[in-house]
Amino acid sequence: MNNDSPQKALLVVFLVALVCSILVSVAAVILKPIQLKNQLVERSRNVIALTGLVREDTALTDDELLHAVEQLDIRVIDIDAGRFEPNMKATDIDARSAVKDAELSSAIPGADDLARLGRRSRYEVVYLVWNGAALSRMIFPISGQGMWSTIYGYIALEGDLNTIAAVSFYEQAETAGLGDQVQDPGWLAQWQGLRLFDDQGTFRFRTGPGNIDPSSPAAAYQVDSLSGATVTSDAVTQMIAYWFGAHGYRSLLDYLGSHPPEKPRETGDTES
Amino acid sequence: MTARNTLLDPLFNKNPVLLQVLGICSALAITNSVLTSLIMGLSLTAVLAFSNVCISLIRKHLPNSVRIIVQMTIITTGVIVVDELLQAFAPNVARALSVFVSLIVTNCIILGRAEAFAVKHSVRMSLLDGIGNGLGYSLVLLIVGTVRELFGAGTWLGIAVLPLARDGGWYIPNQLLLLPPSAFFIIGLLIWLLRSWKTAQVEEPDYREIRFYKAGERL
Repeated sequence: MNNDSPQKALLVVFLVALVCSILVSVAAVILKPIQLKNQLVERSRNVIALTGLVREDTALTDDELLHAVEQLDIRVIDIDAGRFEPNMKATDIDARSAVKDAELSSAIPGADDLARLGRRSRYEVVYLVWNGAALSRMIFPISGQGMWSTIYGYIALEGDLNTIAAVSFYEQAETAGLGDQVQDPGWLAQWQGLRLFDDQGTFRFRTGPGNIDPSSPAAAYQVDSLSGATVTSDAVTQMIAYWFGAHGYRSLLDYLGSHPPEKPRETGDTES
Repeated sequence: MTARNTLLDPLFNKNPVLLQVLGICSALAITNSVLTSLIMGLSLTAVLAFSNVCISLIRKHLPNSVRIIVQMTIITTGVIVVDELLQAFAPNVARALSVFVSLIVTNCIILGRAEAFAVKHSVRMSLLDGIGNGLGYSLVLLIVGTVRELFGAGTWLGIAVLPLARDGGWYIPNQLLLLPPSAFFIIGLLIWLLRSWKTAQVEEPDYREIRFYKAGERL
């Protein structure tokens, strides 16, 4: 067959596309379980680091991490209702897929959509860490649109549900060397001890330009912006503002303020 | 042209980055550490060897009208498979490389070698050419990555080499080296060094001043 005839062109294109699509599909299907486990391990590593239960220099294997997460007090929350949802299991919640399902998610009103997410899941999974009978930390998932990518992370609040105990971002594709500093441990450490709300309950937290006067009232709510990454820094401010605003976890926090969560009896002592 | 030349020429004599100045985008973006440079170099070498072999295999059946798009399909397939493999077996590096693995698709070295070499040569020579050019690219990435990580963070492949002042040592790292623009300077210096060594690579100047001399003027 003449190489430049339309029949030959169609045949070559068809065969190349067929072979290539088989290669890509086989790779995707075979590797999917391993990739999913990697993501789970990475998420678990972040959650465990935020519990404050494991010293930072302790290296846990993947299986130890997955096991450690299972030992936590994991609960499903209904963000719309602002309550715990005791009838659902955490393993049934996939907040990322849920945004495609009208039943399981809701559109975020434009004025509230500070994190530029569009939709958010109705249910989320939170982790409670107990110190004896007292709540020592509560870990919430957060996410928001950065400069190039959706940034995913967790924030751990102290038992007062206001003071930041720790924060981490486990998935992002921001500018290498600039925006990807959201994962820099030195910067994340600056968040510790800052507060989200003032005594009147007004949301005050923000990232801002450096040289905050430590004695100024704003210093308790402000973390340094990332140098060279204004868009990413602002996105982080907006992300926290959204998730702890009226459309986010605020109604749950208000509810928990008057109805403190109780330690489940069947969970063992997590301090061991 | 011998097999040996096909494999080794791209290292110094016809280096794709330093002579042809291709593949600069990724060479600037991901060379802030040796590990990412190494994995990126290996990934590109694998994709380049794969695409060169596949394109050479079907070179006698490639219709001219759809030549480039067929080549792109093959290259993209290689890139997706490498990306999936990295996400499965080296998730931390895959995160560090972020979009730049997928951007291998647009790396001019790959389509350049397909067009300039694989469509005209045997499968064996195309394989060697792919590996050779991949190694030439990797070599530059490794040098740039070494300079940037060593002087920007005081480490090499994550091993502390220069004790940092921050941790009680003496070395104050130059953080400019962790930012992409520093790779411009390093690659520029490498090109200068290579062309001082192999003067045949020096290009003709783009324009030349022509002077007309008046009769009787001394030259």
